[in-house]
Amino acid sequence: MMEELPFDHEPDIQLGAALRQALEPAGHEAFVARVMAGVSTPKAGSWDVLAGWAGRGIAAALLVALGAGFAAGRALQPASASIEEGLMSAPADSGTAAAALVRGNNPPDASIVFAVRP
Amino acid sequence: MSRDPQPQVGGARIEHRDEAELVTRSLAGDRAAFGALVDRYAAQARRVARAVLRDPDDADDAAQDAFLSALVKLEQYDPRRPFGPWLMRIVANAATDRRRRRSVRSAEPLDPGVVGGGPRPDTAAERSALSERLRQALAELPERRRLAVVLFDVEGYSHAEIAGMLKIPEGTVRSEVFHARRKLRTLLEDWREPS
Repeated sequence: MMEELPFDHEPDIQLGAALRQALEPAGHEAFVARVMAGVSTPKAGSWDVLAGWAGRGIAAALLVALGAGFAAGRALQPASASIEEGLMSAPADSGTAAAALVRGNNPPDASIVFAVRP
Repeated sequence: MSRDPQPQVGGARIEHRDEAELVTRSLAGDRAAFGALVDRYAAQARRVARAVLRDPDDADDAAQDAFLSALVKLEQYDPRRPFGPWLMRIVANAATDRRRRRSVRSAEPLDPGVVGGGPRPDTAAERSALSERLRQALAELPERRRLAVVLFDVEGYSHAEIAGMLKIPEGTVRSEVFHARRKLRTLLEDWREPS
């Protein structure tokens, strides 16, 4: 046993050997194999996998929804979407001109809006 | 898989020349290279984990977690430095985390009679009993103290390396090793005295 000196700089060989024997694990090869098996199949919780799938699913669903919305919007547009055409074709005293103004997607041309009908 | 023999004392003195290469190959996806690192450090990692966790199975789980964690963090390893202290820091953290999660088990009171003196360890059975007493005595030490003494006296790391692993000042490491030795040496002396 080494002399007990405070703050020895060298390891205590005897104490170290006794501790090593006390802590020495068995089954070295089995442990290494176990670790390497864990490396082959990294731990991925099922929730992680599902989250990955969900992320891709949500992205795909968003794309589909955007496409569907765009298509639906196009389909709902009136065939004569031009306000100018609606204003010019409607009788002066009917409400059709005002309806065309409200229904249109684009602002009407000022020359049409302020045109004086003969 | 070839196994490098662990020195009796001085795990830190394992030849490190090829470790940087093993790490580089591991990073490139060479499974065998990482296997060589695991093979080289398995015993040391398990002993260090066991210094924190009394249960050998818990210790092995912690050591395994540490190796897998090391693989994930391998890019953070500085190949100019020895691999052992870097890995043992991860092992100590993994074991400490696991011990915290199992704090109820680790807080089991020890039988005071067990850590007392006893006959000389002349036979295998007595040596086994001494080992058990040493484990018990070790478990009575504060966690940082037992890690310090195991890393210094069993694994052969320097005070400075242990300070880096445990993130404490070097002087504190020296103090922890001193106090741990005082307790453990008393136990060993008791075994050497005729009962």
